[in-house]
Amino acid sequence: MTLALIALTPFLGALLPALMIRTGRNACAVTAGGVTLFALILLLVEAPAVWRGEVLLQRVDWMPGLGLNATFMLDGLGLFFAGLILGIGLLVILYARFYLDRDDPMGRFYSYLLLFQGAMVGIVLSDNVLMLLIFWELTSLSSFLLIGYWRHAPEGRQGARMALAVTGMGGLAMIGGMLILGDIAGSYDLSVILTKGEAIQASPLYLPALLLILLGCFTKSAQFPFHFWLPHAMAAPTPVSAYLHSATMVKAGIFLMARLWPALSGTPEWFYIVSTTGLVTMVIAAVIALFKDDLKALLAFSTVSHLGLITMLLGFGTPMAATAAVFHILNHATFKAALFMSAGIVDHAAHTRDIRRLGGLRRLMPATFWVATIAALSMAGAPLLNGFLSKEMMLEEAVHTPWLGLGWPIPLLATVGALFSAAYSFRLIGHVFLGPQRDDYPAAPHDPGPGLLAAPALLVAGVVAIGLAPAMVAGGLVNLVADAVTGGAAEPVKLKIWHGLTLALAMSAVALVGGYLLLARYADAVARWRRAGVFAAKPVFDALIALLAALAERGTSALHAGTLPRALGALCVALLAMGFAGWGEGALAGSRETLTPPLIALAPWALLIGTCLAAARMHHDRLMMVLLTSVVGLVVSLGFVYLSAPDLALTQISVEVVTTVLMLLALNFLPKDSPDETGPMLRTAQAGLALVAGLGAAALSYAVMTRDGPTISEFHVAQSYPGGGGTNVVNVILVDFRGFDTFGEIIVLAIAALGIYALLDGALRGPSLGRVISWVPDQERSKDRHPMMLVVATRFLLPVSLVVGLFILLRGHNQPGGGFIAGLVVAIALVMQYVASGYAWTAQRRPMDHHGMIGLGVLVAGLTGAGAWLADRPFLTSAYGYVTLPPLEKFELATAMAFDLGVFLTVVGAVLLALENLSRVARFAEQPGPDEPMDVDPSAEPRTAQEKG
Amino acid sequence: MSWSLFLPLMIPFAAAALAVLGPRAGFEARWISVGGSALHLAAAINLAVVVAGEGVVAAQMGGWAAPVGVTLAADALAAIMVLAVAFMGLAVAVYALADIDRRRASAHWHALYQLLLAGASGAFLTGDLFNLYVWFEVMLIASFGLLVIGGDRAQIDGGVKYVALNLVATLCFLVAVGLIHGQTGTLNMADLSVKIAERPSAALDAASVLLFAAFAAKAGFFPLFFWLPAAYHTPPMAVTAIFAAVLTKAGVYAIFRVFTLIFPESPALDALLWIAIATMVTGVIGAGAHTDARRILSFHIVSQIGYMALGLALATPLAIAGAIVYMVHNIVVKANLILIAGVQRRMTGAHDLVKAGGLYAAAPLLAFLFFVSAMAMAGVPPLSGFWGKLALAQASVSAEAWAALAATLGVGLFTLYSMTKIWLLGYLSPHASGRAHAVKALPRGARLALMGPVAALAATSAALGLNPGPLLEAAGTAAAQLLDPTAYVAAVLGAHG
Repeated sequence: MTLALIALTPFLGALLPALMIRTGRNACAVTAGGVTLFALILLLVEAPAVWRGEVLLQRVDWMPGLGLNATFMLDGLGLFFAGLILGIGLLVILYARFYLDRDDPMGRFYSYLLLFQGAMVGIVLSDNVLMLLIFWELTSLSSFLLIGYWRHAPEGRQGARMALAVTGMGGLAMIGGMLILGDIAGSYDLSVILTKGEAIQASPLYLPALLLILLGCFTKSAQFPFHFWLPHAMAAPTPVSAYLHSATMVKAGIFLMARLWPALSGTPEWFYIVSTTGLVTMVIAAVIALFKDDLKALLAFSTVSHLGLITMLLGFGTPMAATAAVFHILNHATFKAALFMSAGIVDHAAHTRDIRRLGGLRRLMPATFWVATIAALSMAGAPLLNGFLSKEMMLEEAVHTPWLGLGWPIPLLATVGALFSAAYSFRLIGHVFLGPQRDDYPAAPHDPGPGLLAAPALLVAGVVAIGLAPAMVAGGLVNLVADAVTGGAAEPVKLKIWHGLTLALAMSAVALVGGYLLLARYADAVARWRRAGVFAAKPVFDALIALLAALAERGTSALHAGTLPRALGALCVALLAMGFAGWGEGALAGSRETLTPPLIALAPWALLIGTCLAAARMHHDRLMMVLLTSVVGLVVSLGFVYLSAPDLALTQISVEVVTTVLMLLALNFLPKDSPDETGPMLRTAQAGLALVAGLGAAALSYAVMTRDGPTISEFHVAQSYPGGGGTNVVNVILVDFRGFDTFGEIIVLAIAALGIYALLDGALRGPSLGRVISWVPDQERSKDRHPMMLVVATRFLLPVSLVVGLFILLRGHNQPGGGFIAGLVVAIALVMQYVASGYAWTAQRRPMDHHGMIGLGVLVAGLTGAGAWLADRPFLTSAYGYVTLPPLEKFELATAMAFDLGVFLTVVGAVLLALENLSRVARFAEQPGPDEPMDVDPSAEPRTAQEKG
Repeated sequence: MSWSLFLPLMIPFAAAALAVLGPRAGFEARWISVGGSALHLAAAINLAVVVAGEGVVAAQMGGWAAPVGVTLAADALAAIMVLAVAFMGLAVAVYALADIDRRRASAHWHALYQLLLAGASGAFLTGDLFNLYVWFEVMLIASFGLLVIGGDRAQIDGGVKYVALNLVATLCFLVAVGLIHGQTGTLNMADLSVKIAERPSAALDAASVLLFAAFAAKAGFFPLFFWLPAAYHTPPMAVTAIFAAVLTKAGVYAIFRVFTLIFPESPALDALLWIAIATMVTGVIGAGAHTDARRILSFHIVSQIGYMALGLALATPLAIAGAIVYMVHNIVVKANLILIAGVQRRMTGAHDLVKAGGLYAAAPLLAFLFFVSAMAMAGVPPLSGFWGKLALAQASVSAEAWAALAATLGVGLFTLYSMTKIWLLGYLSPHASGRAHAVKALPRGARLALMGPVAALAATSAALGLNPGPLLEAAGTAAAQLLDPTAYVAAVLGAHG
């Protein structure tokens, strides 16, 4: 499992620096370096096998259901990239140790860096594309963290976000592309996909897959027009720029194009998309780089340009071009990382990266000068350095590649790109190091210590070594990698410094000389560039984001205007539309024989319609609305009576009474009229909506009622007594057959009461208490707060009502009645006491707290149900039996009656709790004086006028 | 068997009753709530073990054999949902120890909280259509209470909109149940499954669409989700968090249950793909328009509901399993982000990110936990959000549903955008006031209660991300049971029939 270990080592090691920082900065850096070195050694242990031409494959099934297996592959390409990542990683860790300030949290930095390193190694060693995608996203994420590392810098935050947005978009596109690719190939394993090139290219889904994958590659590798995030990512600390944004992460896109080269390349689509994008990127970025004054921005655009060069070579689709691409990846990684590090050294020493404020550093920083100059000359393509060799190969390939049948566009543009590349490289040397020494540097520049210089110096040594002896130093590696990229199609190439007098050499010379001449007339060129108007992608990106945000705002505020009528209207329209759309084929009327309506049914029907019309007419008058609504309830209960359902009728009537009383109490504090809020147009529309909704509901009811269906009521009737022990089927259904529903419903009732308590409790606190106290009744009050007749009548009725309630509760199982109705009857009797005698008088005499009564009711019902468990029966299984108590006749007792008692208690408690809370508000609002009904006590001593005074 | 099905329901009810009665005897309701939630979780784990061992289990309330009485039944999906909700219930109950003040507690906040959990458990476990309605009502009323307790103006305003819009949906549900009962004479879901397969009709189709609309409104599908952003940002964060974990998910669950078991051929399903996509897109757009952390997160709830809907729209085993994985992930992570938003508010003094900031420097642990959760939410691999999304994307590719693929991936990008918005404004940027110590530390007593659940949920998300195998497997079982309901029907009807 060495391969998995190589990829996992940096992840596991990422914890260490954050811990080791407590023991010091050196320990921290050494740990990070040690982790990297360990992974590198593991890689080198495997290297000889790869060198012999083997492809190592290690596989663990992880999530076969998703086609995701932890499969790792090591071939030449993987070895090359992993070596690059870990090798340069080591140098960057070394460099960063001396680069970071004392105030910078170093542990966190190395942790992030190792996280990134692990993700990168994971990408290049993955055999499973889904796993590759996971690592791919992780690089975006760790790069996000690293770019935003200096959190005090706002440009760092913006840059981080932009990089994440662009590469994140590409990553998602790539997930899509890879899934399609896997779907075509029938496997997500690269080792399979790479053998299915022909099938993939023949598939109709080839183009979409290609586009999506390339979108991922282009965004990651900063290809035009997605290049703009990279320069903004330069807000990151320089070691990050050197590592992520020049040597490794931005090469991930390139890596993937190289990896998938055998499966995807060779088609015209591939050629035109990839090579054109690369070419355009190379030229445009090179031009922009020349005119950048920030040293790191210059290097950033030059990176973009060189990535374009490599992309173009891969796009050519020939094995030779692929070999050139591989060679340039290696060369670019060495000289560009060295340049970034040099830029960081200059920045550190001179406290500025602005080229216009630099110049003449050659004598002040001689060592840095040499390192940077050699690297820059390599970048320019000067002979005897490695940049020259790969650029020669590129130009050579360009010469042989026609574009739309024309021979000249690619060579010409490639030369232009090379020319600008030479120009900005020379500018870097000339405008930073050469020229007269200045006396206005922000800080006194000096060469850094060996710690900071070691890493770039080592890289530059590589630049020279490859440049002087390419075949010996890099030849074997390049051929090995090219072989892996092309799937064995590449001929081994002999890397040479001198190819003879070729066209490519001439182009190279033109580029170098032209670059020099261009720089000589730099002031002129800058003026011309300014006049031309710079095309910058960032404003476009920002404008795009702003546009999206504005659209989101517009759309959201249109959708969420926030008024309830609008939302309700939208809801109703949607419901209606769906309801109508849902009616498929078939006639509305069913086959059942219809009955003629009896005359007696027509009267309540007419009453109902009349009430509805009246409600529509008088809806401003809230008192009328309460009354009209109760008429509807009464008509419904009449219907129940007519259909011989006395239980339901009783329930309905008592519910009407209770709710009407409670609503009237609440209405007391509300305005008595509602304002006219709608214009005639809207009103018409709302009326239409209501009409359609009503007709729709009626049509559905009609459709159901005209159809015969099986029914379950025969069973209920048959089993009510033998199974449930009661002859009142309705009650047995409520407390036994479907007692579980009733249990839920009394809980709903209990919650509603608690909800009223909670709501009104809020009204008596804070600012709303002030509003309640300062409230002035808008209606005249009766002088007689507690009318004598009413008080006497209700007190007289109370015991009678309680007995009736008890009677209804007890007989409910066999005769019309039950806990619910009984609860309502008792509640009404008690409500009448409140109405007649007032809150205080009644509250003093209540037997128990209403919260407790509700809780008790729910508990009684629940425990009755749970009691069945004692007999090992399911919840709510009922039992009944007959009991004889001496003075009474034999009577029945059923567990269902205890359940009904719970219902009863809950109902009474809930109604009274609601009432109590409304009254509490009333007491605050009306601040009544002495609140005693019948406060004339004839039995007491009559009070005299003096005593009162 | 009957016990294991019923305990996850009974325990929160008992806890609620005790939370009302307890304070009178000197017990604090908040600790009763925590204890009840812990037992609830234990019961849910027990149920999950039973279901994993025995397959679909059923119990008949009142001992009446299936189509007559009310049935409780649990398959893998129900067990997963109960477990997820019980887990969140405990986490939020602990958070509420510090988040819910005395005033709210005395207004029965904790009792209502337990009732909400009870209602949700009932909805997941019931095998009866009308009983489902009852549990939805329990949830609605309890959530309304939680929404308005201690209410300031904004809370009451949001609460009224919430309850009005939801009541319309509930009414629609009831009408549909009536229409279905009128034609089939039964309310038992398994029985309905058999009867309707034998005798489909246009009137039943229409009823099924009404039912779908009702659930869609509860779940927050486009275009029926307006109640959600109108209300979710107003109450304390503990309330919003449990709402995010429970309410919309119960709607989604109901759709999964009813439209695989009873109406697998409903015409509503033809439109589901586009409804799902529209839900994903409108939600994420809404989030883009806001800078208030609570509103951003509320809109994302809507958006992510779309992913779950997509699973049913594609209706392949992989898609449904993906949707279930996504739902579990979403329950954990979204609620956690909301809890974190509550901590953010306490420390920075503002919900609006423009007025906040500075948390990265002042609270590195919180920053770390937020970052993990936010990236999980955006579906960044290998965190928990990635797996469901990946499965859905794979299913979209197999079904050649390209719009679905584009939405699945694209919406993730916008989610990432929103999450980085919170990260950059709330964490990386210095506090908007510019003062050095503008970010306050959490009070000592509250720290553990607030940060404990946040850390536990972030760890859960990370665990689901790094080792998604068990969840994927369970979701696969659940998907198989949904797509072939014979086992469910046999467990409900066969046991006594």
